[in-house]
Amino acid sequence: MEFRDNKAIYLQIGDYVCEHILLGKWKDEEKIPSVRELAVSLEVNPNTVMRTYELLQNKNILSNKRGIGFFIAEDAIKQIKLYRKVQFMDEELPVFFRNLYLLDIGFEELEARYKKFVNETFTNP
Amino acid sequence: MIAINNLNFGYSKHSLLFKDMSMQLSAGHIYGLLGKNGAGKSSLLKNIAGLVYAQSGSLNVMGFNPAKREPELLADICFIPEEFHLPSIKIDAYIKANAPFYKKFDHAYLNVLLEEFNIPISNKLVNMSYGQKKKFIIAFGLATQAKLIIMDEPTNGLDIPSKAQFRKVMASALTDDRCIVISTHQVRDLDNLIDTVIMLDESTIALKASIEEITQKLTFKKMKELDETVIYAEPALSGFNVVVPNYHQEDSKMDIELLFNAVLAEKKKLKPIFN
Amino acid sequence: MNNTFNFNRFWLLVKRQWLEFGKIYLISLLVITGVFVLFYSWNFPDPDKDYRYNSDGFLNLYFRIPLFLTLGFIFISVIASSYFSMLGQKAKAIIELMAPASSLEKWLCGLFYTSILSVFSFLLVFYIVDLTFVTYIEKSIGHITFSTTSGPFPTPKTGVIGIRTLFSELLAHKEMRPMYGIPFMITSIFLLGSVYFNRFHYIKTAVVTMLFCSGLIYALVKVGMWLTLHKVQDSANFGYRSHNDEVFIYILMGTAFITLFFWAITFFRVKEKEV
Repeated sequence: MEFRDNKAIYLQIGDYVCEHILLGKWKDEEKIPSVRELAVSLEVNPNTVMRTYELLQNKNILSNKRGIGFFIAEDAIKQIKLYRKVQFMDEELPVFFRNLYLLDIGFEELEARYKKFVNETFTNP
Repeated sequence: MIAINNLNFGYSKHSLLFKDMSMQLSAGHIYGLLGKNGAGKSSLLKNIAGLVYAQSGSLNVMGFNPAKREPELLADICFIPEEFHLPSIKIDAYIKANAPFYKKFDHAYLNVLLEEFNIPISNKLVNMSYGQKKKFIIAFGLATQAKLIIMDEPTNGLDIPSKAQFRKVMASALTDDRCIVISTHQVRDLDNLIDTVIMLDESTIALKASIEEITQKLTFKKMKELDETVIYAEPALSGFNVVVPNYHQEDSKMDIELLFNAVLAEKKKLKPIFN
Repeated sequence: MNNTFNFNRFWLLVKRQWLEFGKIYLISLLVITGVFVLFYSWNFPDPDKDYRYNSDGFLNLYFRIPLFLTLGFIFISVIASSYFSMLGQKAKAIIELMAPASSLEKWLCGLFYTSILSVFSFLLVFYIVDLTFVTYIEKSIGHITFSTTSGPFPTPKTGVIGIRTLFSELLAHKEMRPMYGIPFMITSIFLLGSVYFNRFHYIKTAVVTMLFCSGLIYALVKVGMWLTLHKVQDSANFGYRSHNDEVFIYILMGTAFITLFFWAITFFRVKEKEV
């Protein structure tokens, strides 16, 4: 995993975990790698991974079964989308809006582009 | 795990390297010890290990005074010096002679580590490269199950794959009852591995804070133009890399080199933030 | 855990030190053996030339005692002066000092190698080499027949004096007995030198010892002259011979004291060694 420059490591690890769940690499209600295992594979401090897991637990994406480890929570995917949405709205949208404003891009043009993008990327087999 | 109180230390009585230094280190952390050349990183590590004696002040390492060099404490410290010499014997002979000193020595774990580091056990220590020898003493030191692990520039002399192996091994070595202290110049090698930064400057500890605390109080980011909130700035490709107080609860990624330079240049501005 | 002395740990340390120090030791022993063999072969009595016999009718091998003393001195001093030499090199010293054994054990291990093992192995080597050659010489001259000639000592020529007889006769003199302590004193001086100096241990120790002895002798002579010259009648005690054995006891006590004193300083130097 490559870490980017601008975002805190524990959040980037959070994104990594969420990605794995969304893509189905880690299945629903399954046990996920332990703090130590993930720390070793990402070459980061286990305390950082612990911080990530605690954050995701607070967001109801992971559940902690004491003595056993962390599991993917029941409706993890829904929670991830919720969490991601908040993140997107708070962090990425303002930048996006700023560019829309600066470059004078209208919503009609945007809507057309959006529909085309969805069509090309997600509906094709 | 380690308590340093009012430590005064110097190689000559007239010029002290540390003045009235106090610090606590606890188990379950990887401490990154940073400082300019000659700031005394190695000397601090040697003080903790009992290899040098302080002029005054007290040092408590796991309930012992390290200056007494008691075997019980020595068996619980793994010290990886920057320069070291190993006898010209085979690895298994070295292990046979040295492992019995450590009651908790874990041979199976040592084999796992040597395999991770790609070191065949039949190798002769004298024929190995510096990097390989270093990996060997790191593996041996970790297999002693020592509670305190002290490493002076451990990534020096390691090639790129070895550095990755080293990070993996250290990530797995951190347990709740272990304390790891690593001094380094090559901060980029270790910046995701350490969780607490200790910075030495001008005979004292200029900063000791966890990365969590640092990023709570400071934001590291790029700015196009400087304003009055900026504590420290370095010119970058498009604008500046800056350190600013974290007014908006931003969760930025700590830039350890930027922080290092900021601490050296703007001690007065940073001190009140961390106290 | 006993932090001062534990026999098991001490024995582990002896085995551990053997890996590094054993090489120096064995090589030195081999060299010494070689020199002995060469010397004996070189001075092997030639049946074609005249044998020389002493007044008791034994074949003279005059070089034995000086050879024993010279090589003995060189061997035990070289061994002693290399034992703690690793503490002078940072890269080796850290690993040695961090080995989980007490300072007392490390020091005792030094005494074991430099005073017990080296002295006794030297005696053994000398004994074996001498015995071998003497047996051989005895055999080869056994065929030669001698005619007793008229002379002051018309003793039949019998061969070579055996090594046991050589030393037991030598040591039968009570003046020789105090010399038992000398080898240990030599090793104690050179052992201290090895921990005191960081480099060129042997030369420095030898020079310092020589300067000290010359100074001492000079001072003694001067003091003696000052006390006696023109104050005591010349030849007042001329021909006086002490039948008092006390002086030999004093010599023995003196060497023992010096030895123990140097060993004690060595212990504190090892204990207080800083890197």
